[in-house]
Amino acid sequence: MPGNKLRTAALAAGALALFLTAAPVQAPAQDATELLRQAVDAYAKYSYVGQVQNVDFGSTRAIAVLFRIEHRAPELTRRWYLAPESLYGESIISKGDTSYDIDPHQDRIVVVRDDAIEDQVAEDDNFGLLLHNYRAIMGPPENIAGRRAYAVLLVNRYDGQTVMRISVDADTKLVLEKERYAPSGSVSHQMHFENIRYTAGLPTDLFSVPTSGYTRVNGPSHGSPSADLRAVVKTAGFHALGPTYLPEGFVPLAGDVSEIKGIRTLHLIYSDGLRTVSIFENARGAAVDLTKYTIHSAKVHAHDAQYVLDGPTTLLAWAQGDLHLTLVGELSQTDLVRIASSVAP
Amino acid sequence: MMQHIDNETLIDYMHGALPPQADAAVYAHMETCAQCREQFEAEAALTEMLHSYAAATERDFPSTLKAEIWSRVRSAQPSFWSRVRDNLRPAVFVPVAAALALAAYFGSTLLSPHAPPSIEAAYYLQDHAALNTTVPFSDRNSSTPVDLQNGAMIAPSEETAVNVQPASYTADAGQ
Repeated sequence: MPGNKLRTAALAAGALALFLTAAPVQAPAQDATELLRQAVDAYAKYSYVGQVQNVDFGSTRAIAVLFRIEHRAPELTRRWYLAPESLYGESIISKGDTSYDIDPHQDRIVVVRDDAIEDQVAEDDNFGLLLHNYRAIMGPPENIAGRRAYAVLLVNRYDGQTVMRISVDADTKLVLEKERYAPSGSVSHQMHFENIRYTAGLPTDLFSVPTSGYTRVNGPSHGSPSADLRAVVKTAGFHALGPTYLPEGFVPLAGDVSEIKGIRTLHLIYSDGLRTVSIFENARGAAVDLTKYTIHSAKVHAHDAQYVLDGPTTLLAWAQGDLHLTLVGELSQTDLVRIASSVAP
Repeated sequence: MMQHIDNETLIDYMHGALPPQADAAVYAHMETCAQCREQFEAEAALTEMLHSYAAATERDFPSTLKAEIWSRVRSAQPSFWSRVRDNLRPAVFVPVAAALALAAYFGSTLLSPHAPPSIEAAYYLQDHAALNTTVPFSDRNSSTPVDLQNGAMIAPSEETAVNVQPASYTADAGQ
């Protein structure tokens, strides 16, 4: 009947209009983004004990580390190493920006300070950059370490590459598993909780650093980097070079200048919110010592270059005129060579 | 009344990544919603900044440059000195090689105290990781005792931070 048809058509049009107006608001990515935001904050909100496995995958082999972790929110953490055997018995206590590596084999404590850890403004800015350059896509529900979890894929908006998958606890939003992918699609790094138990009762004594019986050794202190890159480059005291090509979405973040063994070294870091690349420069002929790594050869224009792989991180070193340059980043060797080839005054 | 558009959807809209119906709905909504339009313009400004940074910094060789270089290489004739060097090669090569070998053997011993020090790769990897800690989902717990001990091979007396003065305080700021 014409009346019924008309009513059906009107209902269909109304439903379509409702769908059209509601569609952007109900996009599943909205949940994924909120999940990511909560996951970033969860580390400082929840206390827990558990066991974690970290695996760094190189091109031909992998390095796995197993540790027990005790975390008292917001900033006290102790990691007890269970494997490999060479690390068994060692532990690292982190208190905010300072870490203490307690080595009972050599009766020493290595103290490392990193001021950047507490830079909340930089963290917020970088999270905005991450959302701008990456699409967060919900994966299927999972069960990790006996807990219900949501998977979120982070897909680069420019090349469609999935760079990371994180799985967050459905209740606390703590990251229970994380995989970082190489440009080839292979897994380059994996962090995985084997078990976890949330607790509010961790005593602070658990995080006290021994005061006797150990020799204290100060490792390098990493001060707060400056976002004023022009000032940083001027402070270097030599004519610094910079890359004229960076992968899409990368912007300069910060930099600093240090003197290592009397060599003034400029460090600039660039990021797209998830991946980063650093460039180190010195004008005093100090080459990088790669003797502990498997060295591969490359060419940066006509210059001989060397690169090594350290888990998901690649280091490329070469000399250009009076400068010794080193690129370090979670990018492929091909990407790093392309960036290196663009380095110019 | 449609709710405000979430940021993720706005970014997808800007990248042209929404399905046609959703794209049209966002467009229609922004025609009437000043708040969403303002949010969109903020995101667009950020995208524009990223693009202009990439455009300003990327430089390609002119397509003719490579051909020109090869053309010159191929047309180059050996110079007078090249021909002399080629003719003398067997006579010159042996004594020069011997002298270089001796210089390398004795020179390494004599010159090494003055040679610039090398910097351990572990320092660069750790400094990179240190500045990386503000990036979301960086591997905060992945530094092992080995990493920290390798970093400690550079004693504090050998590594100091240099204070960075803001650019506006320098004499040639703004140049």
